[in-house]
Amino acid sequence: MPLKWVFHWQPNAGTTVNSQMLTEVSQCAESINGVKEGRWKATLTFYKPMFRADQAVPAEYPRDFLGISLPEQPNRYYFIIRSQKIVLEADSSIQMIMEKLQSYKSRVSLTFEGFQYQLGDFQLRVGKVAPSASENLRGIVLEVEYLPLSSMEKSRQILDGFVEIWQEAMSKRSLPGHFMHIEPNFAEFGLSDHYTSQHTAVQYATVMAQLISAVQTAQAVRN
Amino acid sequence: MQQQQTQAARNPTSAESTAEAPPKQVALAMDRLAQAARLIADVRLGADRLLEALFVSAQPHQTTKPLHLFLKEDSSMRQHLQDLRTIGILALKAFTDQKRRFFPHLDDGLNGQSSASESVPKKHCGSQISTVTQQEELSDYRTLSDLLMHVEKDMPNMKIFTYQRLDWLKRASTLPCSAEEFLMDSSKEHDFHISNKPRLGLLGAVAADKVAVIELLFPSIFRAIISLHPAGSIDPDAVAFFSPDEGGSYVHARGFSVYHVFKHVTEHAAMALQYFLGTNTETALYSLLHWIFSYQTLFTEPCSKCKRLLSMDRQSDLLLPPVHRPYRSFCAIKSSSPQSISSTKNQTLDASHAYHVGCFSEEA
Repeated sequence: MPLKWVFHWQPNAGTTVNSQMLTEVSQCAESINGVKEGRWKATLTFYKPMFRADQAVPAEYPRDFLGISLPEQPNRYYFIIRSQKIVLEADSSIQMIMEKLQSYKSRVSLTFEGFQYQLGDFQLRVGKVAPSASENLRGIVLEVEYLPLSSMEKSRQILDGFVEIWQEAMSKRSLPGHFMHIEPNFAEFGLSDHYTSQHTAVQYATVMAQLISAVQTAQAVRN
Repeated sequence: MQQQQTQAARNPTSAESTAEAPPKQVALAMDRLAQAARLIADVRLGADRLLEALFVSAQPHQTTKPLHLFLKEDSSMRQHLQDLRTIGILALKAFTDQKRRFFPHLDDGLNGQSSASESVPKKHCGSQISTVTQQEELSDYRTLSDLLMHVEKDMPNMKIFTYQRLDWLKRASTLPCSAEEFLMDSSKEHDFHISNKPRLGLLGAVAADKVAVIELLFPSIFRAIISLHPAGSIDPDAVAFFSPDEGGSYVHARGFSVYHVFKHVTEHAAMALQYFLGTNTETALYSLLHWIFSYQTLFTEPCSKCKRLLSMDRQSDLLLPPVHRPYRSFCAIKSSSPQSISSTKNQTLDASHAYHVGCFSEEA
């Protein structure tokens, strides 16, 4: 399937994201001839193991067990344990099984949603990050997909070229921050050069870690 | 133009000095063309009737009526095809005569002569050396098998497959748009074709003369399809580029990719093909294959003019990599040519130049 890079918004020190920034980012996509197509939505859920009140959670249970649903794969659900470099693609009915098993429960659920733009052979998704229960904007994500290619190695320079053009367009808007792309080591997750939705799931898990770290840093600065 | 034509009609000997063919011959040619078109229509109709007769005869409780129908159509089809062949031979002869008479410079590639108009620029090749080398190579590459075997050595990383026309259509429809094919071991690619032998080298002489489609695959970069006409010849008549992940019945030498980048490359390739055919039909396929090979850098080579990889094309408002590779001064001379090693190296560098659509027109 076509490859994509997932970016997260890194605000400058001392600043936070707001919905005005989201509007600016959307306008930036339109300024490079992006055609708004429709809405998209992904969800990410943190799971915690269920123990009786008198039991302590053993140390070896991972604290970063994530479940992700992606719009391009409505019949699939993705599990990631980032610390152990595990990613798994399951049928979406696994969520029902987990409900019945009650061994892991949802701790926090986040939604990534926004608009999709077509730019020729590129497809962009601009999305806000918010807890599922509220509209509280916690971050901004950007997906850049290059449709003709599936190999990450062969497409690297093209995506770099796009980022250059994107950064040029963004710099005209003088926003206090920038989009960052951190490429996970896909090989550690057992993934190959050929792009799949599992790669997307791993990228979202990485973005999540970055967002959490950014929030924690901001909190530390305030304290 | 009107005056020239009238003058030519009055004075046949002076027609050689004009650029226009005499009107009478043109009218005759048009008339024959119309005849050929009518014959082709008759052949199509006959084929339908034959199929109908076969269908009817497959039904139970039939008389000998379908058999008579079949025999009647068979003989009239044979007559149509014979007439078509006759017209075709006449047309080819007439065309060759006229071409020799009015466009003598189009034979330049072989005999090294140049004319005032439309001379092929040879500045990168060195005219004497290149024509000698081209003539040597011509004798090497008279058959498709020879040509492809030599080309395979010149072009590592590019996989070449050959097909009969129908076999390619079957293959194209099975080409997945998903990841499965590429997660398979490349050695297994040969296994799931229906009746196709992947490499020409493995084909016997019998199958080689039925080859009508050449597939050039740069894994993860592009797939190019060339059509040969007639089958088994070294005469390309169409070429198209596609994403390696595309599949479907539209993936053929006259089809268009759904992706803009490959659509643009295909349009440019059509012009390159016409140029190679116009310069020298005997080396056209060889040049085309080498020119296609230069596209392995489609997603990595920045534009030689603006030095960027991606650029917004003003005409189409699309972000595109450099989709143009020069073909006018492209010479696919073997690097093992002894006389011109250094000039070959220079020309190889020139051939690797790439241009965006907007940057190319100024360089042509």
